[in-house]
Amino acid sequence: MKTTSLFHLLFIVFLSCLWPSVLLATDNSECMDCHSDEGLTREAAGDVSLSRMSDQLFLDNDKFHLSVHHLNEISCVDCHSDIEELNYDNEIPHKAHLEPVNCTACHEAEGEAFSQSVHMEIRGKGITMQCYACHGYHYVKRLASASVAERENLFCLKCHNADNYHDWLPQKQAHFAFVECTVCHAPTVPSHIHLNFYDLVTNKFFNGNQIIEALGIGFDEFLPLIDTNKDNIINTNEFEDLLLILRQKNIYTEVHAELVVELEPILHNVIKGGSTNECEKCHSADSPLFDAVAIVLTLEDGSAEHYEVEKDVLNSFSMSSFSALGGTRVKFLDKIGLLVILGGICGAGGHLFIRLVTAPLRRRNKENEQDS
Amino acid sequence: MANEKMIYIHPAPVRVWHWVNAACFVLLVITGFQIRFAGTLGLMPLKDAINIHNYIGFLTIANYSIWLYYYFSTGKIKIYFPNPKTFIGNAIKQIQYYGFGIFLGKPNPHVMTPENKFNALQQKAYAALMFVFVPAQMITGVFMWQLKTYSNYIDQLGGIKVIDTIHVILFFFFASFLVIHCYLATLGHTPLAHFKAMFTGYEEHH
Ligand code: HEC
Ligand code: HEC
Ligand code: HEC
Ligand code: HEC
Ligand code: HEC
Ligand code: HEC
Repeated sequence: MKTTSLFHLLFIVFLSCLWPSVLLATDNSECMDCHSDEGLTREAAGDVSLSRMSDQLFLDNDKFHLSVHHLNEISCVDCHSDIEELNYDNEIPHKAHLEPVNCTACHEAEGEAFSQSVHMEIRGKGITMQCYACHGYHYVKRLASASVAERENLFCLKCHNADNYHDWLPQKQAHFAFVECTVCHAPTVPSHIHLNFYDLVTNKFFNGNQIIEALGIGFDEFLPLIDTNKDNIINTNEFEDLLLILRQKNIYTEVHAELVVELEPILHNVIKGGSTNECEKCHSADSPLFDAVAIVLTLEDGSAEHYEVEKDVLNSFSMSSFSALGGTRVKFLDKIGLLVILGGICGAGGHLFIRLVTAPLRRRNKENEQDS
Repeated sequence: MANEKMIYIHPAPVRVWHWVNAACFVLLVITGFQIRFAGTLGLMPLKDAINIHNYIGFLTIANYSIWLYYYFSTGKIKIYFPNPKTFIGNAIKQIQYYGFGIFLGKPNPHVMTPENKFNALQQKAYAALMFVFVPAQMITGVFMWQLKTYSNYIDQLGGIKVIDTIHVILFFFFASFLVIHCYLATLGHTPLAHFKAMFTGYEEHH
C-alpha cells in the first residue's frame, strides 16, 4: 500500500510541474504529433497569394532541437502565434492557412535596420523579401562561428553572383575569400578580424573543442594559459608561444585571418551605392579595419568564444597566409629597405665625392704623363 | 685623339631590351613605392598603381624573354659567365681600380670587346641579377597578381607573407641598384659616354 500512495504523490508532483505549460500554451510535442510525419503535405492552394515556402508540413525534430530558437526556449506557437489552441474535433486542429511568421516581433532592431535596406526597397517592385529568405526558419543556427565562405554561401551568394559586379576590384576572388560582403555593403556596421585555426592535415577549420581538448584545459583556462603577462590581450610573443604549444600537441595548423562584421542588427542595412570602393580604406597602415583582432574558438551551436589579440600579430610572420598590402605590412622590412637604398645612395655619392676631391690629382698626373 | 676608335659593343636587340627594361624598372619602382606605402604616399591612387604595376610587370617579363632568347640563340650568354681561372685575379684588379686607381686616373684594367663586354665584377653582378633576382621577382610578382589562382604554390612556399617579403626585399634592392647602376654608367671616359653608347651601340676605345 505504501508504495502505491508514494507513487500517487509523485504523479501529482509530476503533473503540477507540467501544469503551467499545459494550461498556457500548446506544447511543441502536440504539434509534433502530426508534424513529425514525413508524409504530411498540404493541399496546393488555389490562391497564389496563399502559397508558402514549402508544401511539406514535416519538421525534423532533431534538427529543430539544435536550433537557436529551441535552445532559447522559443516554441512552435511563439512563432506561429496565431495558433491559440488546438481543436481536435476538426480534421486540422487549427486554421489551414496561418499568418506569415513575424520575426521582427522579437527581432525588432534587425527589422528596423532591414527596413532601410535595398532588400526592403525591392518591395516597391512587388517582391517581398522575408527574413527567412536568408536565414531559413526552423533550423536557424547562431552565426558567430561561420567562416567568410560559409557566411557568403549561406546568404548573399544564394541570390547574387558577385563575380559580375566587381571588375574594378583587383583580385576580387581574394577579396571575397577574406572580406565578408557586408563589410563593404553595410558600411555602417563595425567589423573585426577573426583568427581561425586551419587544420593542414584535414584541410578544415579546427573547432573550439578540438583546440581546447588538445591543450587539455577548459575554455575558461584558455586565456590564462596564453596570456602570460595577464593584460587580457594576446600579444605577438604570446601568440607565437600558442602556436608552439599547439605544435607540441601535434596540431598542425595555419592561422587564417578574415575580415567579418560584428553580429549587430545594423549589418542588415545593405544600401545601394553605399559600399566603399576606396582601396585606402583598408590598404593603409592606419586603417581602422585591422584594429580589432580576435582568436575565435567555435562552438557546436554556432556561437564562438572570442579572445582579443593585439593588432601587431597581423604584421608578424606567424600570420603567414594573410597580407593586405599597405594595411598589414611587416614593418622591419621597411627599415631594411631604407638601409639598402640609403646604402646605394651613400655608396654612389661617396665615390662621386672622392672623385671630385681627387680631380686635381688626376689632372696633375695627366700633365705629368703628357710632359714625359 | 688619334688612337680613338669606335667598336660595336651593344647590338640593336640588346639596346632595345635595355631601354625598355630601364623604363619598366623605373615605373615598377615608383608604383611599387605607392603600393607598399599606400595611405602614406600620394603619388597616385592605389588602384592605378596596382594596375600599372601589373601591366608593366608583364611587359618586363615579355621583355626578359626576348633578352633570354637573344642571348641564348646567339650564344652570347657566355659573356655572363666569367672564366674561373682568371676570375679572382680580374675581380681583385677591378676592385682596386674602382676603390683606388680611378681616383688617380689609372686606366680601367678591363677592356671592352664585343665578346667580353663585362668586367669580372659586372659578370658576377649581372649573372646574379638576370638569373636569380629578376626571375625571383617575376615569379613572386605573378603569384601576388592572382593570389587565389596560385594559392597552391604560394602555400607550398610558406604563404603569402613569405612571397611578399621576398618581393619587397628584392624591390628595395632593385631601387638601390638603379641608383648605383646610373652612377657607374657615368664612369666612362666622359660622364655621358656609356649612355651614348647604349643608344648608338658604339663604345669609343682609347
Ligand atoms: C523561429 C520561428 C519558428 C518556430 C520556432 C517554428 N516555426 Fe514553423 N515556420 C516558421 C516560418 C517562418 C515558416 C514559413 C512560413 C511560410 O511558409 O510563410 C514556418 C513554417 C512551418 C510549417 C509549414 C511547412 C514549412 O516547413 O514551411 C510547419 C508545418 C511548421 N512551421 C511547423 C512548426 C512546428 C511544429 C514548430 C515547432 C516544433 C515550428 N514550426 C516552430 C517559423 C517558425
Ligand atoms: C539579405 C539577407 C538577410 C536578410 C533578408 C535578413 N538577414 Fe539577418 N543576417 C544576415 C547576415 C548576412 C547576417 C550576419 C551573419 C554572418 O555574417 O554570419 C545576419 C544576422 C542576423 C542576426 C544575428 C545578428 C544580430 O543582429 O544579432 C539576426 C538575429 C538576424 N540576422 C535576424 C534577421 C531578421 C529578424 C531579419 C528580417 C527582418 C533578417 N535577419 C533578414 C542576412 C540577412
Ligand atoms: C518569439 C520570439 C522570436 C521569434 C518570433 C523569432 N526569433 Fe529569432 N531568436 C529569438 C531568440 C530569443 C534568439 C536568441 C537570441 C540571443 O540569445 O541573442 C533568437 C536568435 C536568432 C538568430 C541567431 C542570432 C545569433 O546570435 O546568431 C537568428 C538568425 C534568428 N533568431 C532569426 C530569426 C528569424 C529568421 C525569425 C523568423 C523566422 C525569428 N528569428 C523569429 C527569438 C525569436
Ligand atoms: C533572397 C535573395 C537575396 C539575398 C540572399 C541577397 N540579396 Fe541582395 N538583392 C536581392 C534582390 C532581389 C535585389 C534587388 C535587385 C534589383 O533591384 O534589381 C538585391 C539588391 C542588392 C543590392 C543592390 C544592387 C542593385 O542592383 O540594386 C546589393 C548591393 C545587394 N543586394 C547586396 C546583397 C548582400 C551583401 C547580400 C548578403 C548579405 C544580399 N544582397 C543577399 C536579392 C537577394
Ligand atoms: C571591397 C568591398 C566589397 C566587397 C568585399 C564586396 N563588394 Fe559588392 N560592391 C562593392 C562596390 C563598391 C560596388 C559598386 C558600388 C555600389 O555599391 O553600388 C559593389 C557592387 C555590388 C553589387 C551591384 C550593386 C549595384 O548597385 O549594381 C552587388 C549585387 C554586390 N556588390 C554584391 C556583393 C556580394 C554578394 C559580395 C560578397 C561575395 C560583395 N558584393 C563583396 C564593394 C564590395
Ligand atoms: C574592405 C577592405 C578592403 C578594401 C576596400 C579593398 N581591399 Fe584589397 N584586400 C583586403 C584584404 C583583407 C586583403 C587580404 C587578402 C589576403 O590576405 O590574401 C586584400 C588583398 C588585396 C590584394 C592582394 C595582394 C596582397 O598582398 O594583399 C590586392 C592587389 C588588393 N587587395 C587591392 C585592392 C584594391 C586595388 C582595392 C581598391 C579598388 C582594394 N584592394 C580594396 C581588403 C580590402
